[in-house]
Amino acid sequence: MKIIYCDALVIGGGLAGLRAAVATQTSGLNTIVLSLVPVKRSHSAAAQGGMQASLGNAKMSQGDSEDVHFIDTVKGSDWGCDQDVARMFVNTAPKAIRELASWGVPWTRVRKGVHEAVINTEKTTIVEDDEAHGLITSRDFGGTKKWRTCYTADATGHTMLFGVANEAMKHKVDIRDRKEALSLIHENSVCYGAIVRDLITGELEAYVAKGTLISTGGYGRLYQTTTNAVICEGTGQAAALETGIATLGNMEAVQFHPTPIVPSGILLTEGCRGDGGVLRDVDGYRFMPDYEPEKKDLASRDVVSRRMMEHIRKGKGVPSEFGDHLWLDISILGREHIEKNLRDVQEIAEQFNGIDPADEGAAGWLPVRPAQHYSMGGIRTNATGESQTLSGLFSCGEAACWDMHGFNRLGGNSVSETVVAGMIVGSYFADYCDTHDTVISTKTVHKELKKQDSYLDEILSRADGEDIFPIKKRMQEIMDEDVGIFRNGDGLKNAVDELQELLTRSKKAVVKSKARAGNPELEEAYRVPRMLKLALCVAYGGLLRTESRGAHYREDYLKRDDKNWLNRTLTTWADEDATLPEVNYEELDIMKMEIPPAFRGYGAKGMTVEHELSEKRQEEVDALKEKFEAEGKDRFEIQDALMEYGLPKNYKDTNERLGVGRE
Amino acid sequence: MSNIIEGYLGVTPDTRKSRLPARLDWWQSATGLFLGLFMWGHMFFVSTILISKDFMYQVTRFFEGSFIFDEPKPILVSMIVFIVFAIFIVHAALALRKFPTNYRQYKIMKTHTVVLNHDDTKLWFVQAYTGFAMFFLGSIHLYTVMTQADKIGPYASADRVVSDWMWPLYILLLLAVELHGSIGLYRLAVKWGWFDGKNPKAARKRLKKIKWAVTVFFLTLGFVTLAAYIKIGIEHKDNYGERYHPSKIVKMPSCCLHQGGVV
Amino acid sequence: MSNITKGRELTFSILKYNPRDPESRPRFVEFKMYETTGMTLFIVLSKIREEMDADLSFDFVCRAGICGSCGMLVNGKPLLACRTLTADYPDGNIQIMPMPAFELIKDLSVNTGKWMDAMSMRVESWIHTNEVHDISALEDKVDPDIADETFELDRCIECGLCITSCGTALMRPDFIGPAGLNRVARFQIDPHDNRTNEDFYELVGDDDGIFGCMTLLACEDHCPKHLPLQQKIAYMRRKLVSVK
Repeated sequence: MKIIYCDALVIGGGLAGLRAAVATQTSGLNTIVLSLVPVKRSHSAAAQGGMQASLGNAKMSQGDSEDVHFIDTVKGSDWGCDQDVARMFVNTAPKAIRELASWGVPWTRVRKGVHEAVINTEKTTIVEDDEAHGLITSRDFGGTKKWRTCYTADATGHTMLFGVANEAMKHKVDIRDRKEALSLIHENSVCYGAIVRDLITGELEAYVAKGTLISTGGYGRLYQTTTNAVICEGTGQAAALETGIATLGNMEAVQFHPTPIVPSGILLTEGCRGDGGVLRDVDGYRFMPDYEPEKKDLASRDVVSRRMMEHIRKGKGVPSEFGDHLWLDISILGREHIEKNLRDVQEIAEQFNGIDPADEGAAGWLPVRPAQHYSMGGIRTNATGESQTLSGLFSCGEAACWDMHGFNRLGGNSVSETVVAGMIVGSYFADYCDTHDTVISTKTVHKELKKQDSYLDEILSRADGEDIFPIKKRMQEIMDEDVGIFRNGDGLKNAVDELQELLTRSKKAVVKSKARAGNPELEEAYRVPRMLKLALCVAYGGLLRTESRGAHYREDYLKRDDKNWLNRTLTTWADEDATLPEVNYEELDIMKMEIPPAFRGYGAKGMTVEHELSEKRQEEVDALKEKFEAEGKDRFEIQDALMEYGLPKNYKDTNERLGVGRE
Repeated sequence: MSNIIEGYLGVTPDTRKSRLPARLDWWQSATGLFLGLFMWGHMFFVSTILISKDFMYQVTRFFEGSFIFDEPKPILVSMIVFIVFAIFIVHAALALRKFPTNYRQYKIMKTHTVVLNHDDTKLWFVQAYTGFAMFFLGSIHLYTVMTQADKIGPYASADRVVSDWMWPLYILLLLAVELHGSIGLYRLAVKWGWFDGKNPKAARKRLKKIKWAVTVFFLTLGFVTLAAYIKIGIEHKDNYGERYHPSKIVKMPSCCLHQGGVV
Repeated sequence: MSNITKGRELTFSILKYNPRDPESRPRFVEFKMYETTGMTLFIVLSKIREEMDADLSFDFVCRAGICGSCGMLVNGKPLLACRTLTADYPDGNIQIMPMPAFELIKDLSVNTGKWMDAMSMRVESWIHTNEVHDISALEDKVDPDIADETFELDRCIECGLCITSCGTALMRPDFIGPAGLNRVARFQIDPHDNRTNEDFYELVGDDDGIFGCMTLLACEDHCPKHLPLQQKIAYMRRKLVSVK
């Protein structure tokens, strides 16, 4: 068992982790990135549709700005986000995309002249300006006012990931793959690295660092039907949770994407609908305009997913041996468009379902049904990305609850968050590592090493008992059934009870092969109890939250309850033997919000229990705006007065846009 | 000294990579292209026997300089063959770079060819085998023709095929040359992307079809020609060494006078 | 989901071997199971691990043909296992082997990542430029066609199927392989990269690079992303052979 020292330790080699590693490495810190898989295979690669950044180059995105992006993001979050973080995000996103362009990400560019696009199933002509020719273009996505989602066909995450990984290689970041962090090393509420298992040799190693950053993505594999990669098991969040000190935020906020293909659950990008595709029911009828007259098929994901399930419940689903589903029709976009901009979608449909979506009419319709897609919850951090309770532990990307998504994330905001948070949090993380020392005794390190070592030995020593796989499967079934799109008190209570029981049983599961290396069952045996703890955080948090907000939808509490629930759930797991987390809440301060809670503009109306401060704050904001506008202040000064926020480096600089400069 | 530096350090004294590998690759292609096209021409020349002995005779005389000299100059043929032989050796030397060079490499390539069952990979193996065979078959033929350039003609060649026991070698050589040549030319075209056009995938499919047509055409032509020589050789067995006297003399009345007189 | 049709019986013959275990001997192990609708090798292998042989090692990540983790030899053909349908094997006999050319970790798991990282380092797979971009200013304009062309080559997922298909790469482990040559072509086309053909020659101008390629074209024929490898390798060959 060896100890490896470095300045900055990054656990998780997806977009967020790699971008943060570039930040630390380029500021002169010796950085090590650990990853379960070769970093270019991270789940970031699966982001298809695009990255939101308010560049405003293309015709349909002109007039876009940080302000519009900010409003969309806050509404999308159902007022669950931290508005200062959302502000930090929207101001940095254009910079992130421009940085990526210079790192070689081949963004699809604006082409001058006449284009045909399908908007609301109508062929529409768009004329792109000559001056915009060659700048980064964008497409439409759900829940946005402008066409803001920048893309490289439908392989955006892939090209971004390769761009950032290449940049990390260029700066000689020490990337080590097939390494799994089992637990964090900490002393006196300061984190100093992690105990890591080499997935090839089975060896345990201690990585000791001044600062540790977790960017291991989401926990989608708690669910049976998910678009997530098989590695998205929440190992990072679990390691943080098991410190007993770090908190997880809003774990019950889980997003369900409207259009994964049936039965494989593989994602078909929102770009399908963004580019003009529509949902149809068993009769071939386009039903979304009936539910959402304004945004139609492009309301936010939580809303569309619910409307789809509602429609299926009305008996309008298409029966199949894999259960009822609906149709996604992109054939109306035409073969040329599909083969250029939605090629991976076409490939997935052809490979897995034998359907060519470019075939005209019903022959090209794709079977879709909502499935788990994104984890808004994660390691709770403050705006700098550092854990509020365990210093030296940072987190960014999907692994974190930073928290710009609140209870629902907008399409295109997640890959955007990865790199933006990688830049911002990476920078704060670098500052931390630069100004802090590693002061931990090797004794503590060895103790933690020994603990994990004995744990693995203990698992292998179990003589008879049940298999781990059925336990995992049952957990996933429970999460699908009772902690899914529609939730209610009874279901959640059942889920919590049974998950607790599963947790107890999982600690006694037997591993057949007794090898310490190359033993996939052993990996399951130590991962599943950790996953169950996370599942309990999700289910228990969901049970306690007696309101509906964003993706958390309670059939027994249909209203968003700002009066009682305008807060963030914080879970900790201090007692190793406990079967439930401790739950606390962090209030959101309306009086500091730039946009106080209101109607989102989509979803059912009149479904809010108002907070008395919302109106008060709105009046205050309106008055301030009016005053400053009268004084001739620009939008940045006004924004600053309403809600101040900070950013590292030059990230707070105003962004230049075509035609408007830095206005 | 720069040789020593590059030899041991792998970089030239100005720390650049040697340009030689590029030249070698180019020359391998160039010599291959030359040999491939030469073999097409060669095949047409020898197959003139199918039209008539006279025609074949005249073609032979042409290469002996009948268009300039009154007397046949087989030395001209020797010189041509010498050049071809030289190019052949250069091509063989350059192609050696691509061969499996030890048991492990051979084993890997062999297994790979069988397991992958991929057309162009299998064709490469055919090319490697036929190339290897031609080191010997080709050399024997080239050396013979170079040193006995005077013994080319309807009877002299047929005698060589039958009475000198060259037909088994020619059967093998014919197979080797035509397979190696047509595969090689196809590979050259895709290797450099000469006919890629707008759709390289379609272009390759087309080239592959042409390649097979060419193989079949030249193999057929080759075997029919060889059969013709064998037939003449058997008929002419008893008159081994006798040279052909054209039945018709067109424009070159003096040639028959000298025919056979050289030996 | 209870009424999923139970189909014909399939037989899988899977190569098992753990090179780190001195006791382990390479061998083919047979597994049988009934086919279900839309069954992929991801489903098959997961089921084998969960129900028949918990010790079987293999790699999947996205299981959607996007991440490039699951290259395997299926009846001799290099394929992405996640999107290989059992329905495509009419006789129901499927043999699965790990990809050659890569370090074998165990059973079907090979270290493609290590190979690809070494390749990336060798061809310096990143933008080379001295220009410093002000990221708050407008981005550089790029001709939309050039951007599309760069993207086309940037679609490589480093799955390694091309390397496993390539006889040259198998025979000569130092060969940079189709993926490496494609990567060079990608940066050669990218206007952000200031490297000249002379610079690229320094990276791949030898028999371990572009001049080692024997144009076997199995890369072109097995690339799951249908990258124009034949065309781009020819392109790089023409460019680099003319370097003075």
